[in-house]
Amino acid sequence: MTTLSRFEIDQPGSVAEASQMLGHYGDQAAIYAGGTELLLAMRHRALSYKHLIDLKVIPGLNAIKARDGVIEIGAACTHRTIESSSLVREMQPVFAELESQVANIRVRATGTLGGNLCFAEPHSDPATMLLVLGATVWIESARGTREIPIEKLIAGAYANHLAPGEILTRIVVPCGKSNHRAAYMKFQIHERPTLGLGLWLETLDGGRTFTAARVAVGCVSPFPHRAPVAEALLTGSRAEVEKHLPETAALIADGADLVDDHEGSAEYKRHLVDVFLRRTFLKAVGLRISS
Amino acid sequence: MSDANKRDAKAFAVVNHSVPRADGVAKVTGSATYASDITLERMAWAKLLRSPFAHAKILAIDVSEAKRQPGVIEVLTGNDLGSLRPYYGHAVKDHPLLAIGKVRFVGEPVAAVIGADQLSAQEALDKIKVEYEELVPVLDVESALAPGGVLVHGMDYIGGAFRGFDDFPGGTKNICQAVHVEWGDVDAAFASAAHIAEGEYYFPMVYAYAMEPYVAVADYDSKGQLTVYSSAQHPFMVRHDLAEIFDLPLNSVRVIVPYVGGGYGSKSYTKIEPLTAACSWKVSRPVKLQLSVEEAFLTTRSDDARVYIRTAVDDSGKLIAKQATIHLDTGAYAENSPMVCRKAANRIVGPYRFPHVRVDCLAIYTNTVPASSYRGLGAAQITFPVESQMDELAHKIGCDPQEFRLRNLAHSGESIHPGLRPIDADVPGDIRLAAETLRSNGPLALKHGRSVCCSCSDAGAHPVTLAMVHVYADGSVSVMSGSTEIGQGSHTVLAQIAAEEMGVPLGKVRLVGSDTGVTLFERSTGASRTTTLMGRAVMEACREAITQCKSMAAELLGVPAGEFTEERGGIRHGKDWLSWPEIIERYFQMEGCGIIGRAYLRRAGALKAVPVFWEIGVVGVEIALDEETGKISLDTLVTVGDVGLAIHPAMTESQDLGAATMGLGIGLFEELIYEGQQLMNGTLLEYRVPRFSDLARRVELKLVENHDGVGPYGAKGGGEGCVNPIGACLANALYQAAGVRIRRLPLTPERVWKALQEQKSQAPASQRKPPAAPKTDVTKTTA
Amino acid sequence: MKIGFELNGKAASLEIEPRETLAEVLRARCRLTGVKLSCEAQVCGSCTVLVDGLPVSACTYLAYEIRDKRVTTIEGLADPPGRLHPLQQAFLDHFAFQCGFCTPGMILAAKSLLDENVHVSDEEIIAYMSGNLCRCTGYLGILKAIRQASAEMKATWKENRRRLE
Repeated sequence: MTTLSRFEIDQPGSVAEASQMLGHYGDQAAIYAGGTELLLAMRHRALSYKHLIDLKVIPGLNAIKARDGVIEIGAACTHRTIESSSLVREMQPVFAELESQVANIRVRATGTLGGNLCFAEPHSDPATMLLVLGATVWIESARGTREIPIEKLIAGAYANHLAPGEILTRIVVPCGKSNHRAAYMKFQIHERPTLGLGLWLETLDGGRTFTAARVAVGCVSPFPHRAPVAEALLTGSRAEVEKHLPETAALIADGADLVDDHEGSAEYKRHLVDVFLRRTFLKAVGLRISS
Repeated sequence: MSDANKRDAKAFAVVNHSVPRADGVAKVTGSATYASDITLERMAWAKLLRSPFAHAKILAIDVSEAKRQPGVIEVLTGNDLGSLRPYYGHAVKDHPLLAIGKVRFVGEPVAAVIGADQLSAQEALDKIKVEYEELVPVLDVESALAPGGVLVHGMDYIGGAFRGFDDFPGGTKNICQAVHVEWGDVDAAFASAAHIAEGEYYFPMVYAYAMEPYVAVADYDSKGQLTVYSSAQHPFMVRHDLAEIFDLPLNSVRVIVPYVGGGYGSKSYTKIEPLTAACSWKVSRPVKLQLSVEEAFLTTRSDDARVYIRTAVDDSGKLIAKQATIHLDTGAYAENSPMVCRKAANRIVGPYRFPHVRVDCLAIYTNTVPASSYRGLGAAQITFPVESQMDELAHKIGCDPQEFRLRNLAHSGESIHPGLRPIDADVPGDIRLAAETLRSNGPLALKHGRSVCCSCSDAGAHPVTLAMVHVYADGSVSVMSGSTEIGQGSHTVLAQIAAEEMGVPLGKVRLVGSDTGVTLFERSTGASRTTTLMGRAVMEACREAITQCKSMAAELLGVPAGEFTEERGGIRHGKDWLSWPEIIERYFQMEGCGIIGRAYLRRAGALKAVPVFWEIGVVGVEIALDEETGKISLDTLVTVGDVGLAIHPAMTESQDLGAATMGLGIGLFEELIYEGQQLMNGTLLEYRVPRFSDLARRVELKLVENHDGVGPYGAKGGGEGCVNPIGACLANALYQAAGVRIRRLPLTPERVWKALQEQKSQAPASQRKPPAAPKTDVTKTTA
Repeated sequence: MKIGFELNGKAASLEIEPRETLAEVLRARCRLTGVKLSCEAQVCGSCTVLVDGLPVSACTYLAYEIRDKRVTTIEGLADPPGRLHPLQQAFLDHFAFQCGFCTPGMILAAKSLLDENVHVSDEEIIAYMSGNLCRCTGYLGILKAIRQASAEMKATWKENRRRLE
């Protein structure tokens, strides 16, 4: 058994107070919610903090609300809460489905979406899909509040763009519309996925042509990102888009900074991008995949 | 085997029934005690500092700052072992209980901090300063065998408790053990062969992952008595090593093993007990050492195996010769690899008739985690090449692989190894059963494949097994057994046998287990021996108690023993019936009395021939291949347990499924990956073991009971057989599904995909398949 | 810090350090050794404990988090003591364990699943339980046990509903 080193737990009454605590303790403190990644890293002495600032005691950070065509998910909502939320299931079912497949039931029962996004584990699912859904996040600090798109949050493997004292408080996910098609698929052998691919398409004629597209691949790179060059090839007639899928996949793979690691060689990952772009496309447009 | 063993199944009251497990209620209510749950008064905690280098001299260790840390009682290093004899090892005594002057693998324990609590001990680790001089590490068998290369040991050692392993050139070469098995004239046979298949195969280093990591609680008390609670499978072997290390008589060393949270061979023989005991010896207090799983990864692994093998047939498709060279990367210390080496060489013949055989097996030292026993003991490593090549040879000569096997399998009673016990199983029958069961799936779907493979292991290890039963005047019975309960159900099976023999309900039998201060010597719990050997010993101990009771009865009744008849549970004399407990109470004229029955088994009589029995493994699989990703899924799994008689049918089937699942892990995902000297995937996050979602769609667990073993009622052992053939089953089924042959495990998706790519690039353009039609099965149009 | 919580149906309170995990506290302080430590990485599930009915990895869950919550360990399942929960009985009936080290966690995870939805399909059982590893059994016995317990709990649920109507 490996015990954790000693630390204090601080209980802020508000986000502003939490932000002040962060400022006060500096790099001796970390924001703590589910702790699923944080405590593991502390057990391995990869990270060390003397103060954990418990976000969960602040009222309102674990609420899920709908307004004006978006769903607002409090940063301290667990994956389990999100996957079981009737609001999320109804209004953005592809995201509810993704949340239901994060890790295992115990990680989902305690791990939070905010924590997951801020910790930026490269082999993680939610960020990839949130990128293509066009999600944004609210960042709060003593200096005020700002809303930024997801791509501006994650800086790299295990790194985010939060400035000292800043706290992620809300994830804003646009609701699904009847002219959207979206899907997420992943390929997994070990405890964490090897590849995750998220796709979002807009169609104004019931799926015969696509007018807008977003695609992102995760887990194969230090952090997930969209592939704007590839996205251009995902618009047009259905037949055209399908014909170009291999090329599109190649462009996604080119832009993904694939590396050889224990999850697979870059060559194999490139191939998986090709396989899963096609499968995710078929899933998004509602066709059953058989292989 | 006496006629008493060949009883009709219906005649059994308790045996051959799936009775409630003896440890069941304790395990489902959380009250089962494991060594990891033991705490003693004044117990201190040990934490280990481990070597960051694979090969280095230890120039100096400064523990002064660590010792000053709050809560630290003492720090133990290889310099502090004083009067102890610090090298242990049941085959070869090459393993220091703590590094002495040198480290030989990344993770080798270098120092132990003993603290009043876990946190204090842990935090002091950083304060220990070790000065190393790095040496060139030997990281693979090629460099280990290169002449004039670096030596992992460079000194000679003496043999351990096992005889016959100390003749090895460890001092001048990196060879821990060399085994040569030969009969007939292999060269002539290959020269005259009609067809030959040959190839090189690789079985990876794997980790057994028993869910309870290694743990020991040691108490070296002021009277010079050493008591150790441990997760060990073989408490008596551990006792032997501890007695030698601490120069204590056997009566002063006590090893107690409560329930064990998984063994699979990885907890065979001595592990962290000497180090824990040395900590207690140093501080005169009980000390607990409980490893994390990451530390367990750095403690024991399986040998890997590089196997060059060739097999020859004559023009009628009859096997005539096998020749093989096996190299086992055995890591930094011998542990049980010398035995693995011997068994791998024996088991490469399989259950087939070979007139000409030559096998050379080397266990080779490298600067990696020490390899030791792993389920199958060499058979898992070599069955993959053997059974893969059987299919390859079958295809080469245009014969169906199953037919090819049936043509060449030895029949019950035939010899497969000169000098060893003839085979005591109907393997052709087992294969047919598995194949028939698979065939009932119907015609084979596209991208599916099937295979039935087998293995045959000289099992049971060395038969020295002693047992005792207490028979009490109130009708209750205690079975005193040195076999450990590692999940295999030993406590239940032994209680069943005692209940059957003594004629009492199962509920009246209690198992008192694995305490070397209380139970008699049992060499080991492994090699699938417990039902056969300890079961037989318990049965004979009961019969010995019954013999005593009969002579007591004769005295009580004043008649010769021939005048009454023995029935189950007592004797009948005319109209009188006297149960064994009644006889005991009347004999002593005392309530609360009891007698003991005992049995000593050794290599004599029915147990003279080795092996004690041949453990058969027969597995059939049907797989489905996702060609795009290379992922193999298990559609159907069939296991056949050829166990003579299943004392507990449900537990026997469950053991077969567990073994096959472990083999499935190696077949599809498990391998330890080294990059240079570092083990890269020594955590459960990176090392993938089978889970619920890997369960096959269809599982059929079969038992074959031909009463052909020397165990009780014709029983033989089981529990390891099914881990051996499944790797080859998967590789052969893959060949059937997609035409690619892969000669290494695991068959990861990427490996399979690469093989498929290679196959495509080798096919001439005119024969390449047209681009696949879109893989859609359109069931609805878009909304 | 002092925390108050409910442990296996009884009120409890403890003085804890923030760094103590729920597993450490349950095993060392409360002497409930049914919580097992294995991977310590939230992978294997042998340390599964229910907190407000949800399964958590007690090895990586701070004891601090159980303040004012209901904690259920394997020792609290038989209710009243001696009367096994349908899952415990089913695990016995189907020999759904061997070494038993994963068993407390496995049973608690299954309880959480069936408490939430007793009408589970095999697919749902397998998906939910894939987070709990077993190295001994090959999982089939566990699946059969959960099916049996589900059937029994369904029958009880129906019976209770009938009584209310």
